[in-house]
Amino acid sequence: MPEHVVGPVAEFPPGSQRLVRLGRIEVGVFNVDGVFYALPNVCPHQFGPLCEGGVTGATACSAATGWKFAWEREGEVVTCPWHGVEFDITTGRSLVAPDRLKVRTYPVVVEDGQVKVRL
Amino acid sequence: MQATVERTDRATISDIIVVDADIHINDTPAALAPYCEEPWRKSLEILAETPSRYLDIPGFSPTLKLDPPIPGGHANRSVHTPAEMRAELTAIGVDIGVLFPDNLLLFAPLPNIEYAVALSHAYNRWLTAEWLDEEGLYGALLACPQDPVDSAREIERYAANDKVVAVYLPTAGVNPLWGHRTYDPIFAAAEAADLPVLLHSVTLVSPAFPCQLDQFENHFGRQMLSHSFAMMANLTSLIHTGVPARFPKLRVGFTEAGIAWVPYMMWRMDKYYQEYRRMIPFLEKRPSEYMKERMWFATQPIEEPDDPKDLVRMIDMIGADRVLFASDWPHHDFDHPRALLKLPMPIETKRKIMGENALELFGIPKPVGKIAGVA
Repeated sequence: MPEHVVGPVAEFPPGSQRLVRLGRIEVGVFNVDGVFYALPNVCPHQFGPLCEGGVTGATACSAATGWKFAWEREGEVVTCPWHGVEFDITTGRSLVAPDRLKVRTYPVVVEDGQVKVRL
Repeated sequence: MQATVERTDRATISDIIVVDADIHINDTPAALAPYCEEPWRKSLEILAETPSRYLDIPGFSPTLKLDPPIPGGHANRSVHTPAEMRAELTAIGVDIGVLFPDNLLLFAPLPNIEYAVALSHAYNRWLTAEWLDEEGLYGALLACPQDPVDSAREIERYAANDKVVAVYLPTAGVNPLWGHRTYDPIFAAAEAADLPVLLHSVTLVSPAFPCQLDQFENHFGRQMLSHSFAMMANLTSLIHTGVPARFPKLRVGFTEAGIAWVPYMMWRMDKYYQEYRRMIPFLEKRPSEYMKERMWFATQPIEEPDDPKDLVRMIDMIGADRVLFASDWPHHDFDHPRALLKLPMPIETKRKIMGENALELFGIPKPVGKIAGVA
């Protein structure tokens, strides 16, 4: 599992979203409240640049919210800029079809002040 | 090969139980008047004096007939008594049928709310008092979109009647469409009574959906779209306000629009669910998954592609467990059971579509043998 140093941790503050090129692939590195995640920058829907999309929360509405709209998972959802498919950054799974439409996630570690992505 | 198919048909039609999800009884003003509350009984008595016209009675079945008469064509039919219905169903090999109205297919556009409520009560009284003692005849209660709270009480009133097996949602010209939250009491009552709701449309010219059918020069054009567009619009309406999520046991049936539109809507709604999930977060799964779980689709008017295998493939896409035979007897475009029985499908699939699916959906006990005898 090759490990790639992508930069000093100071360049990836909480809430940040950065694209890095690791060899032949592009990866989005996300800092969600101090926890790092990395996803391929390719949407499984039609191959759009998923990690260039906006990072937000997501609407929810269920018996648990009294069937009122709620806003949840702030900072944990990236929306593909091509067709609007939402993905949970922390799992790589889409919100619409978590088991069918998903991307892999790469492990990220912080060592010696450096952010490292393992492919 | 041909001989094999024919032998299969003969072997199956004699022992396949045929349940028909959509047949029609002639609900004239004169028939309903004795069952109607005053002062609206007087309205029906006045209407009963006017010469009857087929699905075209002002103040009762309001439509807008725009076409000039052209000689030729085939006659309209209607069924007036349970014995007549039993005999005619037997003649086409149908064992069990779920009754819908004729004229009150055009119920939804009636604007007078008190009158509509009285009419719905009268129809339901007439249906349960006069039609359901006949063997094999089951009823769908008329829901009243004009007063959903009253309609919910009506469903509770008849919930214990074993021969009431569904709630009919008048779909032609309904405004707003059936997904609107104003109808929640009807869905809650149907769910609590464990009665499926069945959407049924009819061809009409109306300012409500499917609107602008007046743009077509003749009935052919209007007939093409009135049923199927009404089903597509109301299915979309139900999904886009989360009815299947908010009523997790509610079962929904769609009648008289054929079935070929169903895979199209499954795929189209799934595609746009991907894009617009944030607007409809009450959905916990893709629209097609709700459709495959708790929605049923009646076959009539069954599509007739040159290659019948195309239709079989279409049924597979929907799921053979979710397809219900319907004849629409006695209407002008009825389907004979043989239209489905002749399809190149395994006998097990035919049994499901022709009857088993409907018996399960409607909670009708399986008859020990053919009520209709051998067709």
